Amino acid sequence: MSVSLSARNIVKRYGGVIALSDGNLDVHSGEVVALIGANGSGKSTMSKVINGVVVLDGGQLLLDDKPVRFSSPQAARKMGIATVFQELSLVPKMTVADNIWLTREPLKPDGMIDRRVMREKTEALLELFSGTFKADLRPETLVSDLHPDEKQIVEILKAISLNPRILILDEATASLDSRQVERLFELVRRWKAEGKAIVFVSHRMEEIFRIADRYSVLRNGKTVGQGDIKDITEKDLIQLMTEKEKVFQFTKTTIAENATGLEQPVYLEVENLTTEILRGVSLKVKQGELLGIGGLQGQGQRDLLLALFGDIPYQGIVRIRGEVVRFKHPRQAMQKKLALVPGDRAKEGLLYIRSILENFLLPSWQKYGFPLKMKLAKRDALAISERLSLVMAGLMAPVSSLSGGNAQKVVIGKWLLRDPDCYLLDDPTKGVDVHTKAEFYALLTELSQQGKSILFYSSDDDELIGLCDRVIVLHDGKIRAELKGASLTKENLIAASMGVSNGGEA
Amino acid sequence: MKRFSWDEMMNRYPAFFAILLLVVALIINFILQPNMFARDTLNSNMRVFLPMILLAAGQAVVILGGGIDISVGGIVSIVNTILATQVGLNGSPEKMWTYVLVSIGAGILAGAINGFFIAFLRLQPIITTYATSFLYVGFALFILPNPGGGIPAEIANIYRNTTPLGLPLAFYVIAVILLIWMYIRSTRFGNYLYAVGGNAEAAYETAVPVTWVIFTTYVASGFMAALAGVAITMLSGSGNAEIGVPMTLTSITAVVIGGTALSGGVGGVAGPVVGAITLGIIQNIISFSRIDTWWETFVKATIIVVALAAPGIINLLRRKKV
Repeated sequence: MSVSLSARNIVKRYGGVIALSDGNLDVHSGEVVALIGANGSGKSTMSKVINGVVVLDGGQLLLDDKPVRFSSPQAARKMGIATVFQELSLVPKMTVADNIWLTREPLKPDGMIDRRVMREKTEALLELFSGTFKADLRPETLVSDLHPDEKQIVEILKAISLNPRILILDEATASLDSRQVERLFELVRRWKAEGKAIVFVSHRMEEIFRIADRYSVLRNGKTVGQGDIKDITEKDLIQLMTEKEKVFQFTKTTIAENATGLEQPVYLEVENLTTEILRGVSLKVKQGELLGIGGLQGQGQRDLLLALFGDIPYQGIVRIRGEVVRFKHPRQAMQKKLALVPGDRAKEGLLYIRSILENFLLPSWQKYGFPLKMKLAKRDALAISERLSLVMAGLMAPVSSLSGGNAQKVVIGKWLLRDPDCYLLDDPTKGVDVHTKAEFYALLTELSQQGKSILFYSSDDDELIGLCDRVIVLHDGKIRAELKGASLTKENLIAASMGVSNGGEA
Repeated sequence: MKRFSWDEMMNRYPAFFAILLLVVALIINFILQPNMFARDTLNSNMRVFLPMILLAAGQAVVILGGGIDISVGGIVSIVNTILATQVGLNGSPEKMWTYVLVSIGAGILAGAINGFFIAFLRLQPIITTYATSFLYVGFALFILPNPGGGIPAEIANIYRNTTPLGLPLAFYVIAVILLIWMYIRSTRFGNYLYAVGGNAEAAYETAVPVTWVIFTTYVASGFMAALAGVAITMLSGSGNAEIGVPMTLTSITAVVIGGTALSGGVGGVAGPVVGAITLGIIQNIISFSRIDTWWETFVKATIIVVALAAPGIINLLRRKKV
């Protein structure tokens, strides 16, 4: 069983955003290639191109030196390419065995599923991970009863049950514990010896060095380095992932010290915040501070912001200006003058098909009495749209008619009308054009100079370094590092995001 | 360490609630009508329940696949009016059986229309079948504007009085339904049905033919509704275009109390069959207690609301505790 897959000069666009401009990857039988890159570098797009989830816009895929084109994940599967998805593809209310063998159930001559054979085959698969999970993971267990790590194991077994020639592990270790990772690596070595080719996408540097034979580094949608793992050091890899050229000149905001030189008071204090993802986060934000939150996607940044806004339940203590608060509903957070710019503006931030005016005034209608003082409302909305230099056909135009950047301005604008004390921003510049980004940076600087506290999560590391004095890096639901001053460099930020131990000051 | 959970209970024993309710209803009914287990009484009860049993079984398949079929009552009406007008009170048995086949074909066609809109055009099941239900009832009214017509009494009596080995015909039909269901449940299609109802996106990523599975559930429901229509026509012996209309909500109620979640992917067909019998007995109780018939609708509606709300209320209480 010999196989080789090459991706050459892959281009992939999502609308106007270029996710991949020159992606390259070579993988052959009997080797593990690590696909590495920082946030937004295009590594997940790259793995989706290989497994047929997205159709490429340019470039070539060569399977065994023959050009191929996958129109669906099934097409790729037929060619022997299987993927362990990070977002699991399991049916919760079905058993482990049913999930693994779905569409490939062993049948008896009368057309009935041979449950006995299926159970035996499942048991044989589970044997691969035996000892690393609790006894309640059995072929007949419902997937909904499993823990996240066990679900991940089932997902891995589902992929390997296809006996693929090429196996893509997309962040497959993220929810596994160390023993399970250890076992997975033993299996990967065995599969490697059997002649399988393995693509390993991971954000854990230590794992990459343990398991990978070769690496391929993506940066801004381009492959910037490929080679043997043994020829490179951790430091050099991080260097490769780090972009040299800067697009923006950022102006730093330093907390406005008052005339007497006294420090600004602490606005927000969080102690041991715990949610399903967060595992005890403590932090302090001063009045007028722009605190950056970094790390790879899905490390708990969203949970942190949502918990502070009273959107999800949490354990721990939150103090605002020294007073303990426990928001159970976003309304209470709004009354305490907090504002949230959510990560998915189309779904959470805006009423997409309604007018700009309605969206602006949604949190503030009560200010305009009953019946509504429409003239006043329109004047306020117009003022805010001018302040944000919103490009629109008119206040009555639906938000869906706006570009991504302008739509995001509406999300921020609706809070500006309420004049909050604290902004919680969940990756506000995602999918926003360069010009609007620059305007945002100016606005953030202005707000913090006015004494507003801002928690600013961004998946763009340059933004964090350019704008913030202090950046906390989340990893696996914990604060991995707090970077400020001289330690706030891109190398340290990426190192801490990847969980490298010496990244910055802990 | 696992605490009792409503979800898990419903998952393991989908028919638990239905059987509990059935036992309670049976006891009350037995007190009111001590001879209810006598051969004739049992048969006269079961032949009344059978149309709803058939309807609920079809509805269960659709709901398992993540949909809902509001048009089943309309399909029952079409079948009833076709038989009542085309066979007539003096029709021959040959004519009867021919039109039984025709009306079953009509039921399958009606199901296929639903399935086409929902599976292929991806329209919302609840709205689509609500709309087609008017289409189907309207068509039934077109066939038979005023109640009338019918089928020959001797053919109706086959349905009413066939009791092989002294057991009501309905028992044999239930056995056949359950056997067929057990077979389907253990085929690949059965697995697809649960996968599509449980997580259509994951099923699609795993190469399950989601569109065809959904389409098939509506065809199956149309077929079962047609059988229900044949049964109710033989029971009543006459035609009425409105006959199926009140049956839709009852069929959904039967499915829900049968432990088949409206969200899809959980439950089975046995529970809804038990649910249909339970609802029939509740109807008996109401008529024996000599209270106004509007209580029947009230009780049914209460049952469906309670059955729907119970998991939510339990979750709410659980969340309060945390």
